[in-house]
Amino acid sequence: MPTTDLLGRPTTEVEDELLELYRRCKALLARDDLAPCARAGARVAAVGLWNAVNDLALTSEQLLDLGA
Amino acid sequence: MGAGEYWNPKTETLGRDELTALQLHKLRRLCEWAAARSPFYQRSFREAGFDPGQLKTLDDLRRLPMLTREEWMASQGEQPPFGLLPVAGREAAIRWHTTSGTTGREPIRVLDSAKDWAWQAEMWCYGLWGFGVRPADTAYVAFGYGSFIGFWGLHYGMEKLGALNVPGGAQTTEGRVKQIVDFGATVVASTPTYALRLAQEAERLGVDLAASGVQRLILSGEPAGSIPQTKALIERLWGARAGDTAGMTEIGTIMIFECRHQPGGTHIIEDHYIEEVVDPASGEPVGYGEAGERVVTSFGRGIIPLVRYRTADLVTRVPASRCDCGRGFDLYEGGILGRVDDMKLVRGTNVYPRAVEGIVREFPAVEEFQLLLTREGHFDRIALRVEAAPEVGDEAWADMAEGLAKALAEAHEGLRFEVERAAPGELPRFELKARRTVDRRDTPIGG
Repeated sequence: MPTTDLLGRPTTEVEDELLELYRRCKALLARDDLAPCARAGARVAAVGLWNAVNDLALTSEQLLDLGA
Repeated sequence: MGAGEYWNPKTETLGRDELTALQLHKLRRLCEWAAARSPFYQRSFREAGFDPGQLKTLDDLRRLPMLTREEWMASQGEQPPFGLLPVAGREAAIRWHTTSGTTGREPIRVLDSAKDWAWQAEMWCYGLWGFGVRPADTAYVAFGYGSFIGFWGLHYGMEKLGALNVPGGAQTTEGRVKQIVDFGATVVASTPTYALRLAQEAERLGVDLAASGVQRLILSGEPAGSIPQTKALIERLWGARAGDTAGMTEIGTIMIFECRHQPGGTHIIEDHYIEEVVDPASGEPVGYGEAGERVVTSFGRGIIPLVRYRTADLVTRVPASRCDCGRGFDLYEGGILGRVDDMKLVRGTNVYPRAVEGIVREFPAVEEFQLLLTREGHFDRIALRVEAAPEVGDEAWADMAEGLAKALAEAHEGLRFEVERAAPGELPRFELKARRTVDRRDTPIGG
């Protein structure tokens, strides 16, 4: 499904991939059955991807409710 | 310019209209977040009759009240220890930092989540990459690593971009000089004052820093990183290029950086901040090329939303086209020029510490200095106290003192500065923010 960035531009293939990974990391963090080691790793991954998708003007949101 | 010039080619090269559109989008989200979660903003927005839905253009930003340090401090008093600005408490945070405390006032206390902290490193990456730091570099961070936020973000930014990082905490100045050389550092991060002190120590030790591997200095913490004379002195002593940056605890990281083209100013990271420049008295915006007070809105920090914070930093904004690096980010000409309340009135003449430092740094035998203002009866007295290099004999000192007094008077409508020689080691040394102006008067006459 085609998406656009915050400027209304069509996203690139790389941007779509980053967004998908970011969504999956957030979904993982929302689960309540993660071991502490898995939660910590997922949090680091989500935060790292947040920076990328935020820098690339793909999203603008906070992660506090997911513990980050 | 090639894409390798920029940390984030997509937004660093946006045109003005696109940058404005991006800022407006982020501003709406920030205000919605603040209105939903922060007790402070819930109250201040209500009192101002503001609703985030009113943000139709970026000019609507001015509907929002400005936030002062005094209000922040009062909020900390109302609800200790963090005040009413944060949207969450310490249980949501991974870092607790404070302002440096160099002013003697109660510090501002800040909390950051894991995401906030990572964002702070990200902002440093814009600046480090922009000044030419790359993964192959070895970075030495000459910083005390305490509760002051200082270069913490730079440390993580260096790691993030892949540089080899050497934390230079808990060291003597001599120990740091030796490590910089022994570890083959190619980048050194410090305050401008401390970069000079390291160079003085190296000279005492017989270490030629200009022959070392250091190619870049990342300066922060004081306006001196953009004072041309100070910067030139640092670059000469180190045989390296010095890049200015500036940040503040209130946003947690840097908001401006000098790119490798060294355009005589610092780029504003405009995809993460809105920076306004206003008349300090009226609060009305001033135009390009006019000096005014910085007011910052930051999109990055989640726990502490920051909307229209009055920084008391004095700046002059100029268009991005002033630099040929290709960024769309505007610049502050000369970096942070000083503080709005820096100016001293002495016998009817305005004295700016930045201008004094610019003159003093033209005398390379000055090792340290202090500007001392006192009052005798109804007469204001201004003295420049100077520690000269040990090899400066009496005759050379007399020439130097005369030269300093003349240059200072010429720059200050004939105002007489008394130039006094201080004993070696008598004047304070600074690793963080230098405080070289000491005003022992009460209210200045006519002030």
